[in-house]
Amino acid sequence: MKKIIVGDSLVKCFGEGIEKRNVLDGVSVEVNEGEFVAVMGPSGSGKSTLMFALSGMDTIDGGKTVFDGKDISKISADELSEIRRTAMGFVFQQPTMLKHLNILDNIILPSMRDQRKHTASIVKKARALMNRVGIAELEQRDITQVSGGQLQRAGICRALMNSPKIIFGDEPTGALNSKSAQEIMDIFTEINNDGTAVMLVTHDALVAARTERVMFMRDGKVVSVLKLPRFTGLNMDDRVESITQRMREVGI
Amino acid sequence: MYKKIIRNDILQSKLITITTVIFVTAAAMLVSLAAIVAVNLYGALDTLMTKAQTPHFMQMHAGEIDIERLTSFAQQHSNVEEFQVVEFLNLDGSQFTFGERSLASSVQDNGLSVQSRSFDYLLDLDGQVIQAADGEVYVPVGYMKDNVVKVGDRAVISGKEFTVAGFLRDSTMNSSLSASKRFLVSSNDYAHIKSQGHPEYLIEFRLKDLAELGAFETAYANAGLEMNGPTVTYALFRMMNAISDGMMVGVILLVSFLVVAIAFLCIRFTLLAKIEEDYREIGVMKAIGLRISDIKKIYLAKYAAIAAAGSILGFALSFVFKGLLLENIRLFMGESDHTALAYVLAIIGILLVFIAIVIYVNGVLKRFRHISAAEAIRFGSLQEKHTGARRITLSGSRLLNTNVFLGMKDVLSRKKLYATMLAVLVLSSFIMIVPQNLYNTISSKSFIGYMGIGSYDLRMQLSGNVDNFSEKVADITRAVQSDQAISQFAVLTTKTFRVKLRDGTEENIKIELGDHSIFPIAYTKGKAPAAENDIALSTLYADDMGYEVGDSMTLVMGDVEKKLIVSGIYSDITNGGKTAKAVFSDQSAGTMWSIVSAKLYDPALVAVKVKEYSETFDYTKTSDIDEYVKQTFGSTISAVKTASYVAIVVAIAITLLISMLFIRMLVAKDRYSIAVMNAFGYTSTDVKVQFISRSIFILIIGVLLGTILANTLGELLAGLVISSFGASTFEFTIDPISAYLLSPLLMAITVIIATLIGVAHVGHIKISNHIKE
Repeated sequence: MKKIIVGDSLVKCFGEGIEKRNVLDGVSVEVNEGEFVAVMGPSGSGKSTLMFALSGMDTIDGGKTVFDGKDISKISADELSEIRRTAMGFVFQQPTMLKHLNILDNIILPSMRDQRKHTASIVKKARALMNRVGIAELEQRDITQVSGGQLQRAGICRALMNSPKIIFGDEPTGALNSKSAQEIMDIFTEINNDGTAVMLVTHDALVAARTERVMFMRDGKVVSVLKLPRFTGLNMDDRVESITQRMREVGI
Repeated sequence: MYKKIIRNDILQSKLITITTVIFVTAAAMLVSLAAIVAVNLYGALDTLMTKAQTPHFMQMHAGEIDIERLTSFAQQHSNVEEFQVVEFLNLDGSQFTFGERSLASSVQDNGLSVQSRSFDYLLDLDGQVIQAADGEVYVPVGYMKDNVVKVGDRAVISGKEFTVAGFLRDSTMNSSLSASKRFLVSSNDYAHIKSQGHPEYLIEFRLKDLAELGAFETAYANAGLEMNGPTVTYALFRMMNAISDGMMVGVILLVSFLVVAIAFLCIRFTLLAKIEEDYREIGVMKAIGLRISDIKKIYLAKYAAIAAAGSILGFALSFVFKGLLLENIRLFMGESDHTALAYVLAIIGILLVFIAIVIYVNGVLKRFRHISAAEAIRFGSLQEKHTGARRITLSGSRLLNTNVFLGMKDVLSRKKLYATMLAVLVLSSFIMIVPQNLYNTISSKSFIGYMGIGSYDLRMQLSGNVDNFSEKVADITRAVQSDQAISQFAVLTTKTFRVKLRDGTEENIKIELGDHSIFPIAYTKGKAPAAENDIALSTLYADDMGYEVGDSMTLVMGDVEKKLIVSGIYSDITNGGKTAKAVFSDQSAGTMWSIVSAKLYDPALVAVKVKEYSETFDYTKTSDIDEYVKQTFGSTISAVKTASYVAIVVAIAITLLISMLFIRMLVAKDRYSIAVMNAFGYTSTDVKVQFISRSIFILIIGVLLGTILANTLGELLAGLVISSFGASTFEFTIDPISAYLLSPLLMAITVIIATLIGVAHVGHIKISNHIKE
């Protein structure tokens, strides 16, 4: 199967002098086209840093990242921006929305950078996505006028606008109650079923249990990988159990 | 504790602290300078007028004089303390040569005098009464300033040789606004040259009670004594001496207000950004129970320290620069006795600046009250209200580029925040446009219309006391009439009449007779006199007498009374500002002078024509009107020109500095949204374009408002300056290319550069630092 993203011996340092430490310590990871993976680990294990390094949002101090067959660790910031804009989608824990734009404008923002002429079709696509995640009626609302769950759905719509090859989620359900979290995970599962690769960084075994491969990180390294069968809605408890079992084994 | 907090804070924001200190320093320095110059001007003028014993009332007179009659009037009038008649031998400028230079082109009425007997002394530069020895000439101090003459120069006056022994201060004629200039020679030398010029007389009085001057003036006029010439009083001498430096004080004060305003703006957004930055800490301080006044003290202490440093620095700097500004006063008037008072006033002025800053900072800090501890700790930043502009959406507007749209939308959503920058841009365009408009106005050909001078190229003035006056005027008129190079000409004759006042008393009035439609001047109200019974009055005269357009006034011509209707009122600065114009013909009264003015087909020929006419008619004073204006107002015009350049530089500097600091603050404030944009694929160039769009959007509004304000409020303010020249109402003469194209372009370039500097580090904002959980 074709690899959509490959991180090869990634190193990322923080601090200087004696305080210098490797948050990523030669990590190698890969995600296949259409794959659904999760990265788990305790705070400070480097899982979010890994996601920022893979997506080119942060520079790396060693190793290389190959996205869709292209080495992106040495390209310019502008080229990286273009890749993020056209081929990647992001969903963060906190809703990263611009305060002075309404929900619809926030969703279409990344697409409007290059396709201003096609505003009508972009708006049409955004409305379809909003309809799909159940927030169709909120498009003119300010971001302060909707709930956290609704905002996160808007965030997913924004991530999907440019039909990305991969969606990165950094604790996308971390700020939500369990009901909203499950609904958001349903949406991610659905997206993945449509063929988009999804990589989630999470603390939550319930979230990781939806994926087909879980990477466990500790001290800047991947210490274990757990393969799961594709999620069909069944055996949720077993999936969670095997994840927590592995967590205990690797001591995280 | 405060010391430590202030030190840390200042070290963290060096650039902004330095900028604020600079503005406070400039404001303090200017206020201090204004106080020092004002007190010195007052003091030096007082000293000069006391030492020179300036006359309280002076009547200039050309023609026959009856000294005995005057003496008996002085003896009989109870208020007269001293009386004297001083001779002034009016010589043509060409009769004066200093080294290689002649005063032929001087428009001043240069003449010789001897030292006065009992008052109105001509003083040397040490303030002592000069006694000129034979062969010595003392030159008015104005010529020293122009570098025309040096002490020790050889001088030739009407063929007789002199040595320039020094310069003199003349409390009555120092000012460039005074047309006559007295050169001092010994009595012997004066007697030697006397036959070669036309003596004029300065009939001078000093009164026991200056408050009764008005009554004395009336008594003099009613006594029917000599008055063929201007009348000048003590207050007018004082005003003429003080006007140029007084205006400087006014301008300095005005500029210092602007600088204080800019310092306020600078403080405002620095402080607001600082509050934003410290939001969480302020919340924590509030939550752990610190009182608002305690928290405020920490911030207030920093600005009190900045204000104190600026004030002390400003005071010190004012000592460095005061010499420069006092130069003119020292030269023309000498030293002041009020040094201590000057410093006391300067310190009071600076204290006012200091207090104003502290009060202002205190006012800005009032918003601490509205900070909710819970919100501050939870969000860590001010939850801005995004008001208005909700209807303008990215999805709904198809016209603009996305980055441009986002920039404009941001401005519209946070109007209050951008008001600071808008205010700076409005102010800068105002500062930039008003002085250049003022310069364009007073240097334009039409402006002389506001000064009571028509738009012609050359003027020939013939004094009424020359022999065969009427024939000479007729000769000139014939010559002008047959001159192919002259397109238009007018002959205006000024005569003295008696006017009957409303209370029945009579007074002298100088009326310029002739056709006033040929070279029209600007009328404040009404129009030029056209009919036989029309009369137009100067503003000063109309105000004095309480006449309005449409009122009637009565002239007494021998036994006959002539009724005239006031047709118009105009601004005038010539002849002391009190003049009148009419068209009726008259053969009776004594002529004071005639002016033949002419316009050329080709104005380039003016120098040739001036030379030709002054050679042909050597008894007239022929001058190029531009030269006339230049010599009368040249220094003022060039000062305003310099000021307008300085204003442009200042405006650009302010715009650059404040915009740059503002944008930097904005980048710091918006680092989160910048990170979000970057995360979703907007490049740092996109972000820069958004910031430039914000700047340009505000710039357009700012320049528009600034230009409107400059043409309304600015015109009003400039009007105050111009009214000191004697013009009462005026309109800006605007150079559209400079005011509406070049200035805004300059502002735009500056703002774009400032924005680019301000956003230079946008690329360094790490997405992970701001988005990471």
